[in-house]
Amino acid sequence: MSYHKPDEKTLQGLKDIANKLRILSIKQTCASNSGHPTSCCSAAELMSVLFFHTMRYKAKDPRNPCNDRFILSKGHAAPILYAAWAEAGYIKESDLLNLRKIDSDLEGHPTPKLAFVDVATGSLGQGLGASCGMAYTGKYLDKSSYRVYCMLGDGECSEGSVWEAMAFASYYKLDNLVAILDVNRLGQSEAAPLQHNMNTYKERCEAFGFNTYVVDGHDVEELCKALWMAEQFKGKPTAIVAKTFKGKGLKGIEDQDNWHGKPMPKDRAEELIQDIKSQIQSPNKHIHPQAPTEDAAAVDATPVHLLKAPEYKLGDKISTRKAYGVALKKMGDASTRVVALDGDTKNSTFADIFKKAHPDRFIECFIAEQNMVSVAIGCATRDRTIPFASTFSAFLARAYDHIRMAAISQSNVNLVGSHCGVSIGEDGPSQMALEDLAMFRAIPTCTVFYPSDGVSTERAVELAANTKGVCFIRTSRPDTAVIYDPKEKFEVGRAKVVRKSDDDKVTVIGAGVTLHEALAAHEQLAKEGVNIRVIDPFTIKPLDAETIVASARATGGRVITVEDHYKEGGLGEAVLAAVGEEPSIVVQRLAVSHVPRSGQPQELLDMFGISAKSIVAAVKRTFAN
Amino acid sequence: MEDYHKPDQQTVQALRNIANRLRINSIKATTAAGSGHPTSCCSVAEIMSVLFFNTMKFRPDDPKNPNNDRFILSKGHAAPVLFSVWMEIGYLKESELMSMCQVDSMLEGHPTPKQQFVDVATGSLGQGLGVACGMAYTAKYFDKSSYRVYCLLGDGEMSEGAVWEAMAFASYYQLDNLLAILDVNRLGQSDPAPLQHHVEKYQRRCEAFGWHAIIVDGHSVEELCKALSQPRHQPIAIIAKTIKGKGIPVAEDKMGWHGKVLSKDIAESVTRELQSRILSCSKRMYPASPIEDAPPVSLRNVRMPSAPNYKPGEKIATCKAYGVALAKLGRYNERLVAMDVDTKNFTFSEIFKNEHPNRFIECFSAEQNMVSVATGCAARDRNIVFASGLATFFSRAYDQLRMAAISESNIILCGSHCGLSAGEFGPAHMGLEDVAIFRALQTSTIFYPSDGVSTEKAVELAANTKGLCYIRTIRPETSIIYNSNEDLHVGQLKVVYQSKDDHVTVIAAGLTLHEALAAAEQLKKERIHIRVIDPFTVKPLDAKTIIDHVRATRGRVITVEDHYYEGGLGDAVCSAIVNETSFTLQRLAVAHVPRSGKMSELLKIYAIDRDSITQTVRKMLSSSANAK
Ligand SMILES: Cc1ncc(C[n+]2csc(CCOP(=O)(O)OP(=O)(O)O)c2C)c(N)n1
Ligand SMILES: Cc1ncc(C[n+]2csc(CCOP(=O)(O)OP(=O)(O)O)c2C)c(N)n1
Repeated sequence: MSYHKPDEKTLQGLKDIANKLRILSIKQTCASNSGHPTSCCSAAELMSVLFFHTMRYKAKDPRNPCNDRFILSKGHAAPILYAAWAEAGYIKESDLLNLRKIDSDLEGHPTPKLAFVDVATGSLGQGLGASCGMAYTGKYLDKSSYRVYCMLGDGECSEGSVWEAMAFASYYKLDNLVAILDVNRLGQSEAAPLQHNMNTYKERCEAFGFNTYVVDGHDVEELCKALWMAEQFKGKPTAIVAKTFKGKGLKGIEDQDNWHGKPMPKDRAEELIQDIKSQIQSPNKHIHPQAPTEDAAAVDATPVHLLKAPEYKLGDKISTRKAYGVALKKMGDASTRVVALDGDTKNSTFADIFKKAHPDRFIECFIAEQNMVSVAIGCATRDRTIPFASTFSAFLARAYDHIRMAAISQSNVNLVGSHCGVSIGEDGPSQMALEDLAMFRAIPTCTVFYPSDGVSTERAVELAANTKGVCFIRTSRPDTAVIYDPKEKFEVGRAKVVRKSDDDKVTVIGAGVTLHEALAAHEQLAKEGVNIRVIDPFTIKPLDAETIVASARATGGRVITVEDHYKEGGLGEAVLAAVGEEPSIVVQRLAVSHVPRSGQPQELLDMFGISAKSIVAAVKRTFAN
Repeated sequence: MEDYHKPDQQTVQALRNIANRLRINSIKATTAAGSGHPTSCCSVAEIMSVLFFNTMKFRPDDPKNPNNDRFILSKGHAAPVLFSVWMEIGYLKESELMSMCQVDSMLEGHPTPKQQFVDVATGSLGQGLGVACGMAYTAKYFDKSSYRVYCLLGDGEMSEGAVWEAMAFASYYQLDNLLAILDVNRLGQSDPAPLQHHVEKYQRRCEAFGWHAIIVDGHSVEELCKALSQPRHQPIAIIAKTIKGKGIPVAEDKMGWHGKVLSKDIAESVTRELQSRILSCSKRMYPASPIEDAPPVSLRNVRMPSAPNYKPGEKIATCKAYGVALAKLGRYNERLVAMDVDTKNFTFSEIFKNEHPNRFIECFSAEQNMVSVATGCAARDRNIVFASGLATFFSRAYDQLRMAAISESNIILCGSHCGLSAGEFGPAHMGLEDVAIFRALQTSTIFYPSDGVSTEKAVELAANTKGLCYIRTIRPETSIIYNSNEDLHVGQLKVVYQSKDDHVTVIAAGLTLHEALAAAEQLKKERIHIRVIDPFTVKPLDAKTIIDHVRATRGRVITVEDHYYEGGLGDAVCSAIVNETSFTLQRLAVAHVPRSGKMSELLKIYAIDRDSITQTVRKMLSSSANAK
């Protein structure tokens, strides 16, 4: 196919739309008296050509699975995205003036409260990774023709996660992905490091494996052509590096410092708008986007269940990390929507069990945890897949901002962290997750699973696949005994009382390895004639406050929590929050209280006071008083 | 390159011998420990040998000497080869190496500052180069000294975006004293690294990021010597093509060997074979001595020259007060440096920059790298470092902060725009989990000042506090509530509103402290008296005094915070009072992902405003009246 230049009328129409988008961006930000009009104006032609020439979508049905996807990675330019959807007829122009108001879904940065937003943006550098997830899904899982367009700022390109995504996109030959760099020279508080050095951007994009075009970002014809060529190009993703001016079209403001994030002054807005208006030739002409090819199947969103119950026997020994791999493979057997991702740790997290069985649905993300989480979020959009992404739990800290944004994105992504706590032993503190529960508890939409044996791990995986919001599953390295019958039923927010008698003196709450330490303590104390009640919370969030409070009452208000986690933000504090308003409950907390070190697992559990020995001592202490 | 002198044959042989001894000791140590990554050590044996015995200048008996060249093992899992080097140098004993990873050994599975020759902990991949950038920046622009900085990375590690943030930083600031060596051994942990042995692709990426990139055979001592003595005009990347497991025939270039130790038998036969390659050689290699030109530095007793210059009732945002305080403290302390991530006009670190431009580092939109650079600048006590950004974006660098704690680093982070105070920006910009994540860092101190005076004190105290300090600031202006000579200390709360007959204690900070004060005024009209407490530091929390006050208000306490429920002030107070069985605690915090809107509207919707406080107080009193 050869390129046909759009006719003059079309080109003029696109120019006019660009200017209309500018005006609407100015008006919105003036009305809200906040926002980023200059960041919108640099992208006006880019948005016009993308939305009214290049992209194929149903303007009345923004979530249609066949539509091309658009991700505004530079989320602070939200007003121009809203303006484009107003121009496309999906939102009323008059509604735009409610930008950033308390009762409007047109928030300061895009969120999926709006049907045309798949992932929330606003934390820079995250859009391209999510786009990679969508493009990967489009190309390899949906095998459909929809394409994915992502717009980034130049300042934003300082974020390492952008380059993680670039490397990913070229490695997987995502030729259905186009990254558009709005190189408007300026960042927030000063010029971006590469200024208008277009060639360096080009070299970087090419070095990272992108087919790259440098264009004048204000020339609609050049943009039409470059985006057309991007579509023809096979085997590589394309980067459109667009030279633009921040505040383009705003007299006296264009390309000037100190205008980032500032609405136009009230007294100048009208004049600026008039000036732009005067360049519009046919204000009432609209261009309709092209319709998409209808080749993405509708998803079957029915719940996914294990085809077979867990196949463990009581007393079998298996680590929960391995049980995760087994479970995930089985979920993969049950539904082709289940996909797995990992960050080059699949032999440690046991995601490789899934990979072996379902190689086409496994995505190796290499050592780039931020991007892995973003890709997973992208895969989960529009319910196309049920992703599970795993790595060492400690390294999920690397992606905490992305996880935070996943909540704002209302994403249903599932994250799995192995090697939690000091029980990993010799590798030392850099590999031990001891703050992951604190992290995930503070994610508002998150369900935190902390299974303690093979059976409960398998059920945790099954539940997570069907639970809305972010799910986190914390797994451990050591082998531990299976303590539940394969038929045992598990629910989110339902604890298990694993040891109980009529005269329990203390309630001990542990999870993972510390549950097994609690069981050992139980045994030892029983020999001495002291009974304790042992509780497995199963989910740390939501926590089964009812069972815990009832047990606490039954054991004279005495509770001990034991966790392979720091004291702050973990199981102990979750229990405190649950019993906090109950009078007469006393909680003793055993947790890791300073940065640990290398050593053997059992030695470390002893050293940090979370082993059976310490539990026995703590139980005895409760009596001393 | 006229002035390059090839090392003589004796030197070359000596360096080869060292490389093989490093292999032998890495294998022995990991087999003895039953844990570790011998194949990751073996690929870098020649690199380590040449670096430490031919290239770097340092005092072997004094690893922390400020004049020494710095070395950062970014691929920290190769720790045994680093330990073997220090054994070769004579700093460690063989017995120490062979008890690596034991619970009482200084030598852990990954480098930590328990070892004198380690400046920062590594083991979370992709963080070393950013730290190296901080050290190189310090050498070039603050110390103006000749020591150089060397950083060794793995190829799998190059997938981490943080590496590329650091690459961009180094070339932007022309850190010609920085040298990175990429150990391209083709393999990662569970698969080949994405670029396999395509060294030219690495070269292209490095060059695009502004580095001079040289490809070498990483097992050729001669090539390494030559490349490492290239003249330097920009940061240099040595792209070393190597074989993972080099010298271990069963493992060389093979998948499935990452992080696997050799059995005793294999270890012995491999050792014997390697031993046979060590040829007798008369030459003893010593590291060259450094040039002694790093200036002495004292970071102790950093004091404000004068009391804060605010009058009660005056209004200032704590984020601005931070900038004012920092600039002031910087006036009398040459080693106080500040950095930001292109948000200096929000955090007000620009006030510092305007006054002390030579001590301000713009890190652009790269939060991970800023925290690493900060850690690097603070290493060996060269600088007092303040790094600022929006509170919520520290979540972007949480792994780096976690490692900074393990590194025993002393850095100060300031997060502005916390909580709902970000208002119209919406949830992406609201720090509502920052206290939770900072509390979970074991070495942290968390300041949450509520006015200009206490912010200034917080800045001064933070400069003198070990560990990670976090200062949480807010965007809206609030009234000055303290006298300029108010005595504020870490771990000491302030009672800001009280009477003889208070019914309820309310604990709040920042914006919510001012809401609590307004609530107190309102309630006073109804003859309900509340005590209002400003914790000043959320960690450590002044638990004992809180308990005393709550007792004085008959066990009734309310916490109000501009943060999610989990891990914040409420959880901290809960932990402090847990075993006071007669206390009743009510917590007000943000329960869901918020939305855009005016701050005052948001405070209402999420029920942490003055009216919510007054209602909660009334409810608490009426329910306890009912109970009686
Ligand atoms: C992770 C992150 N860090 C910092 C910010 C604050 N911030 C918002 S916009 C901006 C500058 C963006 O510059 P650029 O990407 O060039 O976009 P432009 O507005 O110039 O189009 C910054 C630093 C953010 N939103 N996210
Ligand atoms: C941030 C982070 N993610 C994952 C890991 C787990 N991990 C340890 S070593 C390794 C592979 C490293 O490969 P490479 O950088 O090529 O080093 P090599 O051992 O091959 O020299 C991985 C994935 C880690 N330590 N840190």
